[in-house]
Amino acid sequence: MDKLRQKFIEEASEHIRDIEQSLLTLESNPDNHELIEKIFRSLHTLKGSGAMFGFEKISEFTHELETIYDLIRNNKLILGKEVFDLTLACADHLKILISDEKKDNAEINEEYRNLLEKIHEVYSGESMPGKPSANQKDKKTADTGSDLSTYYIYFKPNADIFDNGTNPLFLIDELTSLGHFMAIPYLQDIPEIETIEPYRCYTHWEVIFATSESSDTLNEIFLFVEDNCVLDIQKLANGNLVDNKKFVKRIEKLKETGKDIGIDALKIISEDLEQSVASKVKKALGDEFRTSFRDYTISSIRVASEKLDHLMNLVSELVTTQARLSLYSENDSSSELTAISENIQKLSRQLRDLAFEIVLVPIDTLITRFQRLVRDLSKELGKEVSFIAKGTETELDKTIIENLTDPLMHIIRNCIDHGIETTEERLKKGKPEQGTILLNAYHSSTNVHIEISDDGKGIDAEKVRKKAVAKGLITEDNYLTEKQIYELLFLPGFSTAEHVTDVSGRGVGMDVVKQKITNIRGEIEIESSKNAGTKLTLKVPLTLSIIDGLLVRVEDIFYLIPLSAVEKIYAINHEDIDGKFNNLIVLGGERIPYFYLRKEFNLEADNNINDQVIVIKYETQKVGLVVDEVIGEYQAVLKPLGRHYKNQEIISAATILGDGTIALVIDVNRAVNHFANIITHMEEKI
Amino acid sequence: MTKTILFVDDSESIREIVNFTLQNEGYNVLVSDNGKNALSLLDGKDINLIITDLHMPEMNGIELIKEVRKMPHYQRTPILFLTTESQVAKKMEAKEAGATGWIVKPFVPAKLISAITKVIR
Repeated sequence: MDKLRQKFIEEASEHIRDIEQSLLTLESNPDNHELIEKIFRSLHTLKGSGAMFGFEKISEFTHELETIYDLIRNNKLILGKEVFDLTLACADHLKILISDEKKDNAEINEEYRNLLEKIHEVYSGESMPGKPSANQKDKKTADTGSDLSTYYIYFKPNADIFDNGTNPLFLIDELTSLGHFMAIPYLQDIPEIETIEPYRCYTHWEVIFATSESSDTLNEIFLFVEDNCVLDIQKLANGNLVDNKKFVKRIEKLKETGKDIGIDALKIISEDLEQSVASKVKKALGDEFRTSFRDYTISSIRVASEKLDHLMNLVSELVTTQARLSLYSENDSSSELTAISENIQKLSRQLRDLAFEIVLVPIDTLITRFQRLVRDLSKELGKEVSFIAKGTETELDKTIIENLTDPLMHIIRNCIDHGIETTEERLKKGKPEQGTILLNAYHSSTNVHIEISDDGKGIDAEKVRKKAVAKGLITEDNYLTEKQIYELLFLPGFSTAEHVTDVSGRGVGMDVVKQKITNIRGEIEIESSKNAGTKLTLKVPLTLSIIDGLLVRVEDIFYLIPLSAVEKIYAINHEDIDGKFNNLIVLGGERIPYFYLRKEFNLEADNNINDQVIVIKYETQKVGLVVDEVIGEYQAVLKPLGRHYKNQEIISAATILGDGTIALVIDVNRAVNHFANIITHMEEKI
Repeated sequence: MTKTILFVDDSESIREIVNFTLQNEGYNVLVSDNGKNALSLLDGKDINLIITDLHMPEMNGIELIKEVRKMPHYQRTPILFLTTESQVAKKMEAKEAGATGWIVKPFVPAKLISAITKVIR
């Protein structure tokens, strides 16, 4: 059951997100009828399934909201700002309801009542009768007396009643469970056996029935067959006539005639008996015609993301095994084996490509959240900001998408808080009243670029420089290019806001953004010009599970250095680094700090080989890594390291080479941090 | 004899909860996500009751009901459909197509069972 609830919660969350998304699009395009239908449809589904899973409140809540959207789609109500805000608030509340339904929190209940009231105000302001179910309920409580009443029921099914799968006997049966009764079947219409048609109904009934249930309940029993029969349900008398011996006796006598007794005769009898007047009960049918709505569905299935991870893992295993097979078949003379191996190679490549495609998710999935953020935040800060997203169909690995959400949120928050000016300021500068944030995503070779630009005031480079000096990050006489100054923003603990606002500047700054982007092997760049705005470009790899690397060897172990970090490779003589204490080497006319990997990995220095230095990018500077041998470029499928290796910082993953050997992937940034720390520790000791 | 019910709805969560509820009641349950798939399930089986949603992709509930009624084996098998109190027109359409009755959404398990016992015993 919990699993089922979980499923429902997942599905419901999706619907709530759909509602939000549609609303936000509607705000700029209020006449889009399809979106209103979509919202209605989502509400409708939530209402339909909520109660079944024990989320009665969700059903009740969405029922009310649905009423509003029903009015809107029938053009009886205009989708104004008030309704917008209310629906968004409701969407938020629905999120709480699906997560916290069990907790009977007073605050939530209060919010719930408030929202319901507001919804009610919105639709009762229109010429619309209250919801029919409420009326019915009232009526029910009104005429449910604790005392029994006696009803007369005449039930004559149409001859073809069996044709739609109804069995009239079940209905009579159901009546019996509700009270004392007396059923009189009339069988005289049944023809001779030769002419009988087995699927026609020839029987009708008169039932006298004493119950405490309301007439609505009785009507309910015959609900399905209303149009397929002659049905008359009338209240005969208060009290229980069925157990009244005198009454029963008179009925028995009438029965013998074989003819319908009829309500009139019964009434006379009961009046005789009780002097009471039967009152007619009207059928309460307050149904209202509503047009049907179209169905919007996507032909796709939902798969747990662990399963996808598992699939990816298996595929990468397969690819490595296949590489071994190719290697083996090359050295074998059997032509048949070569043919098979080549076939497997082809298939596994297709499978790999497909598997990678499966885990790709369009950036689109993030956009709703951003739209919402922009809307809420700009409102809160009293700024007018519009958000435009381009290239949202661009796809990325789902892990990357997951890791991008927070950084992007932070960047957009910064744009609104620091970038976009207040309306007055903008007008003074001759800019349009409304600020714009543009998100643009596109492919660039094996990377995806995501640009976020605003047309705000831009970054004041001088201000940043002064702040950095004040914070002791640079000295007054440091000469920095504009670009280098912007890089300062990514240093830990840097915040340009003069005073910390509620929105940004909550301690986590751009350094965290940078860190997160680096973690997924991405890069971030800032461009800005005063009063024209700021543009941040995130460059992230398409996938995290494949890497282009440089395969190197130290002693007898292979390492892989991500190619994206590699700048240049130099061959050096061992003497160039032998016995140096300052760890600096001159390469291409530049002094570059280096790390001798043999030393870092606690291996003996080997004087007999010519080492090679790989110059890599570390932050904004260059760092050299000295290795025994560079083997070449290698496209590797990454395998995560086991739990036991989680705590070390140098190696981020492993890969299996064609011949089955393992190569370790060096996390360049962290490794350099790690090596550098060791040096500082050593200095401290000295 | 255990009765077999075919439940057709495009919402996976609804299918699962109904499946769970009906199995608890001792019914055999088959589920399907749209009319087309439901039809392929009917063939060669002895299903005692069909419950279907009306709005579904591929083949909607009304079409399904019409198709089922064309199958000699299911000409008089009870068919219930899921609807809301507001869809009177739909109700009539579904009944004309040959449905036996309906279940109003949103429903709770007890309501579902009571509707079922109206048409099969």
